[in-house]
Amino acid sequence: MIQLHNVSLTYQQDASALNNINLKIGKGEFVFLTGPSGAGKTSLLRLLYGALTPKSGQVLIDGQNITRMSPSHIPLLRRTIGVVFQDFKLLHNRTVFENVAISLEVLGWGRADVGKKTMHMLKQMGIESKYNLITERLSGGEQQRVALARALVNDPKILLADEPTGNLDDANKNQILAIFKEANVRGTTVVVATHDRRLIEQGHKRLVTLHKGEIVEQMEKETTGNAQTF
Amino acid sequence: MFVNVVTIGTITLALLIVSLFLLVFVNIESAVENWSERVQVTVYFDKELAPQELNELHGKVSALPGVYRVSYVSRAQALKRFKSRLKGQETLLEGIKPEILPVSFEIALKRSHRDMVSVENFVAQLKRVPGITEVQYGEEWVRRFNSFLNYMRILGALLGGFLVITVIFIVSNTIKLTIYSRRDELEVMSLVGATRFFIKAPFLLEGFIQGLAGSLLSIVLLFGLYELFLHNSGNFLSFNPVTSGLAFLPPEYIFGLLLAGSGLGFIGSLTSLKRFITV
Repeated sequence: MIQLHNVSLTYQQDASALNNINLKIGKGEFVFLTGPSGAGKTSLLRLLYGALTPKSGQVLIDGQNITRMSPSHIPLLRRTIGVVFQDFKLLHNRTVFENVAISLEVLGWGRADVGKKTMHMLKQMGIESKYNLITERLSGGEQQRVALARALVNDPKILLADEPTGNLDDANKNQILAIFKEANVRGTTVVVATHDRRLIEQGHKRLVTLHKGEIVEQMEKETTGNAQTF
Repeated sequence: MFVNVVTIGTITLALLIVSLFLLVFVNIESAVENWSERVQVTVYFDKELAPQELNELHGKVSALPGVYRVSYVSRAQALKRFKSRLKGQETLLEGIKPEILPVSFEIALKRSHRDMVSVENFVAQLKRVPGITEVQYGEEWVRRFNSFLNYMRILGALLGGFLVITVIFIVSNTIKLTIYSRRDELEVMSLVGATRFFIKAPFLLEGFIQGLAGSLLSIVLLFGLYELFLHNSGNFLSFNPVTSGLAFLPPEYIFGLLLAGSGLGFIGSLTSLKRFITV
């Protein structure tokens, strides 16, 4: 589903953000990207939804080489990828409903269908009663769930999440992880960038560790708890 | 909502300045056009013309390019005019007979033929008509009038150009700020896979409507100011503005302002969006 071949990325001429990354993530996989701040986790995710272009190397998403993609095709790619941002990127002067519905509106869905699907998604997230509230009035956990609902409402092939549990308490973290797992069970490929060790431990999923823009370790964590180094 | 009101208000005020300038310019130009009617060429004859000769010459002169009207002034009419100019001192003319005054053709020229070069060309052509010897046309006055006209036009173009540039700058920056305040929306739409057209369309429509509303409001305000001036300035002006022929903007100027306002809103939005939509 996701393939990176010899990908390097530089922000400025001297600073290298990612260096010769090779990574393959299969369809339906659940991967944690970890590493210290500045390791390149966010940059890697941004490459995957076409917000950045690598200096060299190829990025393939679902068989399409996005490094060669024309700008007019990027929106079509993004419709198949749900993204949860570290800072949520919610529209603060809009309601919960409007924030989630936007993902379907850009697809050209009819009003009635947008309403039905959005409310269904909000129900799954447990925030249907807040549909008419301005997102500014929600707690951090609730805002996170709105962001998740927006990312998942159009049943994306891939879900990318950047530090999704950053400021959440344990109860909220568990709920968010459960939502990720549920989406994964339904067939969505999930990539979560985090340095939250607890989340990774609980996740029991494949782990990719980045350090200074390079992949330093890949581990497949079995449900039994046995670690296997690649 | 607040941002929209501020944007429309800015466009309104900016265009009001331009339309006020246009109104003043249009009225000055129409006043100057009226003065140009004094550009007149006179042909003198030292003898009274026979009716047939008069008709023949009148026809020849009327057929010349640029002629608007040819009027024949007989000796009797000339004396009458002379008397009316010397009102109060008519005694000076006692004993004077019309015969000492010449008969003449007074030729008014078309608007497009009232500049210095056209008048000189016309006079040269006139002199070639058999039977015409003496031609006068107030050369100095025509020359001065023309240089005044050119000066007015250059000044108008400079001031107008400066105003238009200022207005474009103010309006485009205001629109840029409006779009900047909503850049989160642009970003989110782009990230959830909206096409460029889907993102831009509502902003372009909004810019167009803001520009149209702003220009419409500026015209309404200008009309209010015009009416206010027309009916209240008589007290401190030496002329009555109602009877002086002070006109409002002609329809084509109003249409032009509406077009400029909406175009400015649309293009301002388009260029600002380019800056904020990266992908």
